[in-house]
Amino acid sequence: MAISVKVIRRPEAARSSYLRAALKGMSLTFRHMVNPRKVTRSYPEEPTELHPRWRGTHRMEVHADGRPKCVACGLCPTVCPANCIRLVGGEDDQGNRYPIVYEIDEFRCIFCGMCQEVCPVEAIHVGQHFENAEYTRERFVYDLDRLMEQEHPVTALWDPSDPASE
Amino acid sequence: MSTVTLTIDGRRVTVPEGTSLLHAAEEIGVEVPHYCYHPALSAPAQCRLCLVDVEGAPKPMPSCVTQAQDGQVVRTDEGLAREMRKGVLEFYLINHPLDCPICDQSGECKLQDYVHSEGRAHGRGVEPKRVFGRDDFGGDVLFYGDRCVMCTRCVRFMEEMAQDPVLTVVERGDRAVIDTFFEQGLKDSPWSGNIVDICPVGALVSKDFLHKARAWDLDHTPSVCPNCSQGCNIDIHTRDNVVHRLKPRENPEVNGHWMCDYGRGQYEWMNRSDRLEEPFVRGEGGWSAPGWDGALASLRERLEGCRGPVHAVASAHASNEDLGALRELAERLGGGDIVYRSPRAPDEVPMPGFPVLTRRRDLAPNTRGAELLGLRRVGSDDATGGLDEAAAATGALIVLGDELADQPEDFGSRAELFVYLGAHPAQAARSAHFVLPVTTFAEQEGTFTNVQTRVQRFEPALRAAGDAQPAWQVLGSLTASLAGEPVPASAAEAFGRLAAGVPEFEGLGYDRLGVHGAPANRPAAVAGER
Repeated sequence: MAISVKVIRRPEAARSSYLRAALKGMSLTFRHMVNPRKVTRSYPEEPTELHPRWRGTHRMEVHADGRPKCVACGLCPTVCPANCIRLVGGEDDQGNRYPIVYEIDEFRCIFCGMCQEVCPVEAIHVGQHFENAEYTRERFVYDLDRLMEQEHPVTALWDPSDPASE
Repeated sequence: MSTVTLTIDGRRVTVPEGTSLLHAAEEIGVEVPHYCYHPALSAPAQCRLCLVDVEGAPKPMPSCVTQAQDGQVVRTDEGLAREMRKGVLEFYLINHPLDCPICDQSGECKLQDYVHSEGRAHGRGVEPKRVFGRDDFGGDVLFYGDRCVMCTRCVRFMEEMAQDPVLTVVERGDRAVIDTFFEQGLKDSPWSGNIVDICPVGALVSKDFLHKARAWDLDHTPSVCPNCSQGCNIDIHTRDNVVHRLKPRENPEVNGHWMCDYGRGQYEWMNRSDRLEEPFVRGEGGWSAPGWDGALASLRERLEGCRGPVHAVASAHASNEDLGALRELAERLGGGDIVYRSPRAPDEVPMPGFPVLTRRRDLAPNTRGAELLGLRRVGSDDATGGLDEAAAATGALIVLGDELADQPEDFGSRAELFVYLGAHPAQAARSAHFVLPVTTFAEQEGTFTNVQTRVQRFEPALRAAGDAQPAWQVLGSLTASLAGEPVPASAAEAFGRLAAGVPEFEGLGYDRLGVHGAPANRPAAVAGER
């Protein structure tokens, strides 16, 4: 079989120059630099705004005297589809039912918000929060003290002026 | 007996004359809500919740006391009956605190159930609710007056069953409340726990169980009370492999609806964590843990070498199957003496209103079964002493279930072969050549023979600790391998083997025993105590 040679013609200089494409790209870039509708944020200097129904890591509400509002009724571990809440109830020295152990495994949690929805005393809440980095896995099991320390705003699961979404 | 035929909710039902409408409705699977009525107590018809619409009657009739008549047409679930119930339930909620989240009855509360199924979705009350707070009734009972629905079941139980009328209704109208006389409380009544069971709401709760678990989290396992030879039928309530409480299970032949506080309170030992978890073998170089196969193989070798009468110490807490397997092994090895020790209370405590139920003197569940199997009781009433012969045994010595707490550390040191089968480690088993872990009654299936010579089944409520196996399985497989027979595969099979060799159990089987047990044959020959 004879050897055949395929000859490729180079395009002429006007078409092969990269200058044109570079200028086109730069023009897009500069146009965006002055675009008033820009969406890029310089996170973390500029904090992210979360939607009021954003469901992030939990927070336990506390009474004015520092006690958790939780009464250990057991509804949140019952309703939790991911089985991530561990609760042991008991009685405190004033005769109130309270959680001796209340732990949420945030790794198991699927952030459905049902714990907040089912809570009869508005104690446990999912929160508007997402910055949860930790160095160890164990730190993602939030105990009662940790849940009470959280300061982020809690999620609004419904509009207070229209709770039944009517 | 003459019968009457009536129509309830459009369905015809024939019942014996004198049956109440409530029971007639039960016959066709219709549950009429009720509080004050309890099958074992008198019916004052005061809760007004079981009102049903009877055609031709001028007003709704309380179904718990109205007798069924021929041709009656009764409606329990529509029109007037339903309307009445909705109204009555609304009255109940006028002062009910609705503290279900912190109430122990939540999940098994009749008020919760009824209101949820047919009450109003939203309350209309605007007035503040009456507040009583809580009151310690003594014993294990705590009273939350706000939650009470004034059904007076507890008052009638103390009057009619315990026949110790220490509860009463004080005040009238909306201030009416259950109370004890002045500060005297329940006077440590041995039956007070039952008023917690029959309370349809969370007014009477157990201190021991207070806030411990939610009712819907508990698994219920049918069992038999292991704390005296009466053998009350119970449910063991467990969560996460921990026993949280014992509740009576109805058996009209043994305990009715009740059980005593003594039996109810003794369950912590089932949760003991100091357990034997794997078989240990003592050889030349000390203890080793060769696993079940290794331990049983070397034990079998040793057993083959030592024929002759054995000494065995068993326990009346062991099931019929366990004791039968021990007896079979002893017979295989050349017979011998099997003894047991069990604690005895100074007196019996009968329930005055239902004397069949008595806290018996024998504080072990299977003393009658041990007697039937030819075991001999030794030792004193506090289950000590009596083991001098066994301690000095030179042949084979088998201990099953007895913790030997009062025995010296050199117990059985002269024995040629000392096998200890137990759930818990024992100091006196130091000289044992084999220490084999067995399950407690709460972890295995089996039967006990109660004081009435009634054989009753129990089911496993807990997972076995570590590698522990039921004693019938360990002993049965040893006997089987010595005899070259198949190993019993289930507790039912082990009982079948036992029934073949013991005339009292002949013809009984697990399917015949059912949930309420069955009397053993020829009870007259052994019923000395009844």
